Amino acid sequence: MTNTVTWARVKSPWVLHFNSGACNGCDIEIVALLTPKYDVERFGVKLEPSPRHADVLLVTGAVTKQCEERLKRVYDQMPQPKFVVAIGACACSGGVFAGCYNVAGGVDKVIPVTAYIPGCPPRPEAIMDGVVKLLNALNPPKPKKQPKGEKKAEPLKNEAESEASKAETVPVPEVKPVVEEAKVVAKQ
Amino acid sequence: MPNSNVNIISVIESKLKDKVQIQPGQLGTAAIATTNGLHREVIQTLLDADEKTAITSITGLDLGANLGLLYHIRTSNAFVTIRAEVPRESPKIQTITDIMPGAVFHELEVADLFGIVFEGHPSPGHFVLSDNWPEGVYPLRKDVNPYDVKLNPSKDVITQPSDGKQVKIVLGPQHPALLEPEKFVVTVDGETVTRVDPRVGYVHRGIEKATESRTFLQDVYLVERICGICNSIHACSFVETVEKILKIEVPQRAKYLRVIALELNRLHSHLLTLGHAGLEIGYETLFQYFWRDREPIMDLIELTSGNRVYSSLMTVGGVRRDIKEEDIPKIKATLTDLRKKLPFYRQVYEDEPSLKMRMKNVGVLKREDAIKLSVVGPVARGSGYDIDVRKDEPYEAYGEIPFKEIVYTQGDTWARMNVRMDEVEESINIIEYAIDNLPPGPFRVKAPRVVPAGEAVNRVEAPRGELFYYVKSNGTAMPERVKVRTPTYANIPAFLKTAIGESIADVPSNFVSLDPCFSCTDR
Amino acid sequence: MIDFWLIFRILVFPGFTFVLLLTLFCDWMERKIEARIQNRVGPMVAGPFGILQPLADFIKLLTKEDIQPRDAKKFIFKFAPLVAFSVMVFAMCFLPVDGASVLSVSGFNGDLIVILAFVTIANFLLFLSGWASSNPYGAIGSARVLTQFLGYDIPLFLVGLTPAFIAGSLSIAAIASAQTIPYIVLAPWAFVLFIISMQAELEKDPFDIPHAESEVVGGLETEYTGGKLAFLHLTRDVQIVFGAALVVELFLGGSSGPVFFGLPAFWYSLWFVLKLLAVVVITEYITCVFARLRLDQVLSANWKILLPSAVLSLILTVAMVTWVYPLVV
Repeated sequence: MTNTVTWARVKSPWVLHFNSGACNGCDIEIVALLTPKYDVERFGVKLEPSPRHADVLLVTGAVTKQCEERLKRVYDQMPQPKFVVAIGACACSGGVFAGCYNVAGGVDKVIPVTAYIPGCPPRPEAIMDGVVKLLNALNPPKPKKQPKGEKKAEPLKNEAESEASKAETVPVPEVKPVVEEAKVVAKQ
Repeated sequence: MPNSNVNIISVIESKLKDKVQIQPGQLGTAAIATTNGLHREVIQTLLDADEKTAITSITGLDLGANLGLLYHIRTSNAFVTIRAEVPRESPKIQTITDIMPGAVFHELEVADLFGIVFEGHPSPGHFVLSDNWPEGVYPLRKDVNPYDVKLNPSKDVITQPSDGKQVKIVLGPQHPALLEPEKFVVTVDGETVTRVDPRVGYVHRGIEKATESRTFLQDVYLVERICGICNSIHACSFVETVEKILKIEVPQRAKYLRVIALELNRLHSHLLTLGHAGLEIGYETLFQYFWRDREPIMDLIELTSGNRVYSSLMTVGGVRRDIKEEDIPKIKATLTDLRKKLPFYRQVYEDEPSLKMRMKNVGVLKREDAIKLSVVGPVARGSGYDIDVRKDEPYEAYGEIPFKEIVYTQGDTWARMNVRMDEVEESINIIEYAIDNLPPGPFRVKAPRVVPAGEAVNRVEAPRGELFYYVKSNGTAMPERVKVRTPTYANIPAFLKTAIGESIADVPSNFVSLDPCFSCTDR
Repeated sequence: MIDFWLIFRILVFPGFTFVLLLTLFCDWMERKIEARIQNRVGPMVAGPFGILQPLADFIKLLTKEDIQPRDAKKFIFKFAPLVAFSVMVFAMCFLPVDGASVLSVSGFNGDLIVILAFVTIANFLLFLSGWASSNPYGAIGSARVLTQFLGYDIPLFLVGLTPAFIAGSLSIAAIASAQTIPYIVLAPWAFVLFIISMQAELEKDPFDIPHAESEVVGGLETEYTGGKLAFLHLTRDVQIVFGAALVVELFLGGSSGPVFFGLPAFWYSLWFVLKLLAVVVITEYITCVFARLRLDQVLSANWKILLPSAVLSLILTVAMVTWVYPLVV
């Protein structure tokens, strides 16, 4: 039963995109993901309009002070289980805008972040790889064999090459077993 | 009476000779120094002299004891800067919004960032900064340390009161029609829009302040990140302005290489918008097709610059990379492919009935309103207001390259989109011409890192319209002040004007036809 | 005594399970067709060719946290999606999939009227569910559902009566079995009109105004999460299958078709499903090649064009039945 639910969650990530003060570079790359060349619907990814429907929150851009409250609200409106992916250098740490008078910092200053995808902007392949890795980290670890999710991620990796390997996954705080799994994924 | 061939400077000289001081220089055709109150008179003179007089921007300056104001006015054949100063203790000046409605947002911005009070402004209040910004802190003044700014605790006011039949609908900050967080409070009566209240500033990062604490070289990369879509043009405009202060001439080959980079940028930006408009009217297939054909252009940008989005090609004194000889056939093949696909899209725009029902006669902006509100770019050209900086004030190699200025007169969403569609074809022509006629020689010259004291303005034609830069240097490696006026900032008033009286369902498509870019708007 | 055959027919085939699987399959097929027309590949990873994608979405939604907004009308908010789904599945049970209705007693003269009434109820329940969520977007979305539905119900009903006139019966089973020549051949104008009003009734492009993301965010679904959202999605998908099934029954000769060997019921079901999928392909194609119209445009098109043509179609059909068809059939 748990396996079925995990399978469903991994195969059906509905994402919500929130721009917390980005320059549009990352945002356009996220939209590009939906289009024929990348087509993330292959992985069951759907861009949802309402936070209530989403599983994964994609945040782009350094968080401006004016957006801070709103980002928190959007995060609170999402139903559990939920994940946050910080896309781009600005969302990870503030990037070039760190220290500006209206910038609060990276996304992790405001809400807990599950995965960081650096790059300015990260290539669409890297974003895809990051989201797929994050979801595959949900699969329970299988000690002897190669992790099941890793196989699925492989064809992507060839495309994304070096950029993709920058995408690292960090553990979800609540889920314990994910920690080891995530490290394995991140190393490879 | 209105005449486009009139010499603006002589008109001012003859009318206001004894009151104002005309200084030639790098602030456009001329800079006109005024004392308190006279700026209105000069603007009125310009308005009377030329029918196409419109405002480009208002720049605020911190001059120490005084606060400076620069009104940048464009006419059909000149670009004029009007100087004014107000004392720091009581920074008050009369508004110009009554004679020039396009200045409303410019004045709000200067009021927010410099604390200058515009007497008689129709809707004072915070515009760029958030509502819980601390009182009396004006971030662009020199005495404000950006790290010390602490916001007041926010009041929890998320109510939607509806008085009688009028219902307020809040679009944003998180809304699928807007890729970026901005808020528009749309008041509707039934399905008809009666009022739109914009609230920008959600993406305001304070880039103008940030440029002051970075070197000129670092600033090239910083201003490029004002906008992820039209990034090359931002970098290009900035380096051009700095080159004007440095008085260095860029090699001929660099000019052509810059044109190629800028037009590739325009291509991908226009294709993006054409697709986005399809999404807003529920025509997802069109959206997917346009974005499919945009990807080869992204590949070209990567091929010529090494990166998909941020090309980082521009640098003071030229460009950082040359085009490889072996890449030229691939560039040409890709452009030919795109050109072959254009007739199909034209046909969709001409013949598809559901698309025409959603775009024809939607968001009609008349020519006189377009001039009055000082709109720029495809929005202006869609309304028959023919301004294109590439033609009016040729920069880089645009003076040598033949191309058409696209003008439609209907002024509706459909016309704006068709302007972009035709410009896609023109851009292909320009790139092909530039590649064929690429002059030999070096592609950059050495430029000093320290810029002598001086100031300059520069205008370029971004995909969304006229982009304006003002740079002031003080003899160090860091600029004293950088002012950016992006095309979307000038175009938002057009949306506020055209949305009223329309169906709520037309708001998204009308809005997207302006090709809004809020990271540009807010900076 | 318990009739196991009856329970099997209700719960497994052609009842609940069959309808559910068919719905999920149609959902997958729609997404695939849309993706292919748009030059994409569509779902690929969940199961072979992504065929399990709708199932994965459904299971995932069922296991998500269920949030109830503070201001929502709790009872309606909770039950409206579920009841709407049940009503649609119940309506499906009246359609003779393998030659006979699910319940032998459910097919009666006049069941066409009954199932059209069920569609009305389901739509009204969807409106209620959006209204109960107390969200401005939910309210606008559901108001649009109701406005559009009120307009298009009348032409749908009128055009739906055309086959009944030709067959001389209001029973779906009788209409289906009377089609020695499918009515799409005898009354093509009615078929076209029926597809158009069905498209509007099912809120698909160019009539998907209640789902216009750029205007009303998620429409009536905006505030829904978890299981309730799953059932709202499923209701919509069942509606689409139901619409296609109705077209098959009324215009394409129902489940009739050649029986080659073995069980006739098997062949009948096969023909039924194949015809149904063909209709889904047509509607999905229409969805992909049109932009979304505006509410006022849709409504004026309805009252000015569709309604008069529906009446004309009915008059034409009656004339044909009286004078022309007796010569042909």
